[in-house]
Amino acid sequence: MKSAQVQATAAPSRVSARRGRRIWIQMVKRYDLYLMLLVPIAWYLIFHYGPLYGLQIAFKNFNPAKGIIGSGWVGFDHFERFFDSYYFGRLLWNTLSINLFSLLIAFPISIVLALIVNEIRSKSFSKLLQNITFIPHFISVVVIVGILNVFLSPTTGPINSLIEAFGGSPIRFLEEAGWFKTIFIGSNIWQNMGWQSIIYIAALSGINPQLYEAAKMDGASRLRRVWHISLPGIVPVIVIMLILDIGHFMDIGFEKILLMQNNLNLEASDVISTFVYTTGILKGEYSYTAAIGLFNSVINLTLLLLVNRFARKMSETSLW
Amino acid sequence: MYKLWGKYALSTALVSALLLSGCSSNSGSGTDAKTAEPSEATVNETGFPLTKEPVTLNMFTRIAPLNGPFKDMPVFQDYEKMSNVHVNFTEAPTDGFQEKKNLLFASNELPDAFYRSGITPLEATQYGAVGQLIPLEDLIDKYAPNLKSLMEQYPEIRSAITTPEGHIYAIPGIVTLAAARTDKKWINEAWLKKLGLKEPETTDELYDVLVAFRDKDPNGNGKKDEIPMTARAGLAVVNLMSGSFGLDQQLGYNINLENDKVNIWMGSEKNKELLMYLNKLYKEKLLDPELFSQKEAQYLAKQGSGNAGFFFDQTNNNFLPIADQYVGIAPPAGPHGDRLQAQTAPVPRDFGAFAISSVNKYPEITMRWIDYFYSDEGSTLLRFGREGEHYELKDGIPYYKEDFLKTDNQPKITPYAGGGAPHLISDKVASYINPPQVQEAQKKLDPYMPKVRYAAPMFDEKTAQEVNILRNDIDKYYEEQSTKFIAGALSFDKWDEFQSTLKKMQIDKLQELYQAAYDKMEK
Repeated sequence: MKSAQVQATAAPSRVSARRGRRIWIQMVKRYDLYLMLLVPIAWYLIFHYGPLYGLQIAFKNFNPAKGIIGSGWVGFDHFERFFDSYYFGRLLWNTLSINLFSLLIAFPISIVLALIVNEIRSKSFSKLLQNITFIPHFISVVVIVGILNVFLSPTTGPINSLIEAFGGSPIRFLEEAGWFKTIFIGSNIWQNMGWQSIIYIAALSGINPQLYEAAKMDGASRLRRVWHISLPGIVPVIVIMLILDIGHFMDIGFEKILLMQNNLNLEASDVISTFVYTTGILKGEYSYTAAIGLFNSVINLTLLLLVNRFARKMSETSLW
Repeated sequence: MYKLWGKYALSTALVSALLLSGCSSNSGSGTDAKTAEPSEATVNETGFPLTKEPVTLNMFTRIAPLNGPFKDMPVFQDYEKMSNVHVNFTEAPTDGFQEKKNLLFASNELPDAFYRSGITPLEATQYGAVGQLIPLEDLIDKYAPNLKSLMEQYPEIRSAITTPEGHIYAIPGIVTLAAARTDKKWINEAWLKKLGLKEPETTDELYDVLVAFRDKDPNGNGKKDEIPMTARAGLAVVNLMSGSFGLDQQLGYNINLENDKVNIWMGSEKNKELLMYLNKLYKEKLLDPELFSQKEAQYLAKQGSGNAGFFFDQTNNNFLPIADQYVGIAPPAGPHGDRLQAQTAPVPRDFGAFAISSVNKYPEITMRWIDYFYSDEGSTLLRFGREGEHYELKDGIPYYKEDFLKTDNQPKITPYAGGGAPHLISDKVASYINPPQVQEAQKKLDPYMPKVRYAAPMFDEKTAQEVNILRNDIDKYYEEQSTKFIAGALSFDKWDEFQSTLKKMQIDKLQELYQAAYDKMEK
């Protein structure tokens, strides 16, 4: 590597030309692989980079008849309007807090679940546990919210019947802002912990069994083995999963929040993504909400970069 | 991880919709193409068919849950034969209709016309100003004799649909029948009789009646399962009770008009009294606990169950089998003696029911096509279907045939069921929605109807934008806080804060804009 660099400084043009030719030859030789690569590249260009072009309407007054190019520039007007808006603080806080709390609570739970599944000796029991926790993942969001409505109904729901049986008075779970985050995050955990634990279970099965045997010989207890072998063994996976989760930190659970939202819990359930939907699509304020969406993405990107850098420093594992 | 897909799909769809709009408008819009090539089909100035050459129009429409497919409706089948115009309807269900409509405009993939589209005054101004909707005033003048004569007869129609620049971008559904513009106040007369009570005349008496409904087991099944009072989900109940607290609804908003002064009453003491009254009813389980969560279907089922004491609806159609148990009452007088039926729609009741887009090659034919429904004859076809098969004439007035009504297909064959269809509702075509019982209920309301009812004003494009921005914040805040006040999730100690936040959201500015619009309208 070093010698190549020295050479490169000595005669940059010749080397790069030679290298370019070599790459070209390789590409021709392996043309079939590169053809396959074209499909994902096209996908990204069309669906991920192409739409970026439309982002400019955040700085314009989008007028559908004039199109994206034809609409007039307004600079940062829409951003200023959003920052001055009565709802700005609430939207930001709800978006951040819902995601932060789900990360703090839901993220460790799937790891713990994976560790438990890994430790269970009875094969059939661990499979059963895995299946039970795994299945809710396949229920659609609409059905989940329907289930919540039925279970938490103040008049006919089993939970409130139970509360009444013990002499309490029924709670309108879905119509109280104070309950919203608990219900939202709780049901998310119930639905997704099994699915999210799969990747940890896979990582755990890759740990060398000799390590466990050696620890056993040395007289390490079960908990010690989990703590000193299992956990360190999956730390890289945990870090990657954490970064990936941060990657869609700001827009988690749009459909579900929208379905659970009502005027009585709006105080806790009004988040940026639903605000963008109700204001942008339903009221036709495309530019304003494009600005809000852009703001959302910028925050998310910043978070992602921070966490990635932090992870690289702390554990030498990172996305890049 | 998996959830990512949904989000990508959604955002991709969204962004690509916006992207597409860029492409389609760059590649030359349909308007230019239209002027370049003369359309081969020409309009017949009078009579049927509307055109010699058969013409096809694409229309975007809303389909209510109770409707059948539009192409199977006798009105459109028969009218196609009459007019030589074939209409392709793209149907969007009521849920999500607003979203689909906005995406059509945003992506500039316009149909030839919008039918039963509930275009708002703001949308009409916006999309009209950018040329997606074409101005209709000249077309109405030349090709819509029925509509024109209605507009001469009721001058408030013209002022309600004309922009300050003098353009008309959307045609409303017109209701000359007063009874079709109000929700009646239906009370369970059978329960009143059983408990020895009389019709409540004041809000306090209403409260007592509701308490009796709740506690004295008027349905006699030994269970406390009566619903003393219910209403459509959300804040409909506020609009329906506001008249008793001296709160009118002029200019299509929460506005009182006193001596030509526009007064937005959301933060007023009277509104506080109203909300406190509703809060009392809600707290004591007199007002339906499901008020804020129930779906339309649930509400209609409650009407038909006979287990509701007091509720609101325009007609008795939803509880026809048990209709004799109910009677309409007058608005109860409030604490200051106010007695007003504030919830009253203007004659042009359904704004934006029909609009013609810029891609339409046959605006003249389209205008003649829609104008027919503003005659009694056309309205009869639309509402009643075929004579002999669906209806029969008695003294020149159409009535549904008994055996047709028994099939329960009535809302399936007509686009008026579910509301908002562009046509004329007069007393000639109202035998079904305005039977004697409803007429009686309307008579009780008549003395308390506001003298004039101003429809929502049309703003010029710039003002419309301003109003939109202000109202987006204010309306959202008002709805959320009112709901909380009624449900008791917010104490009335916070009223001052509520008022000052409304101030901060520039409700005064909004009032000025409405005042200016009103002044212009009066001139």
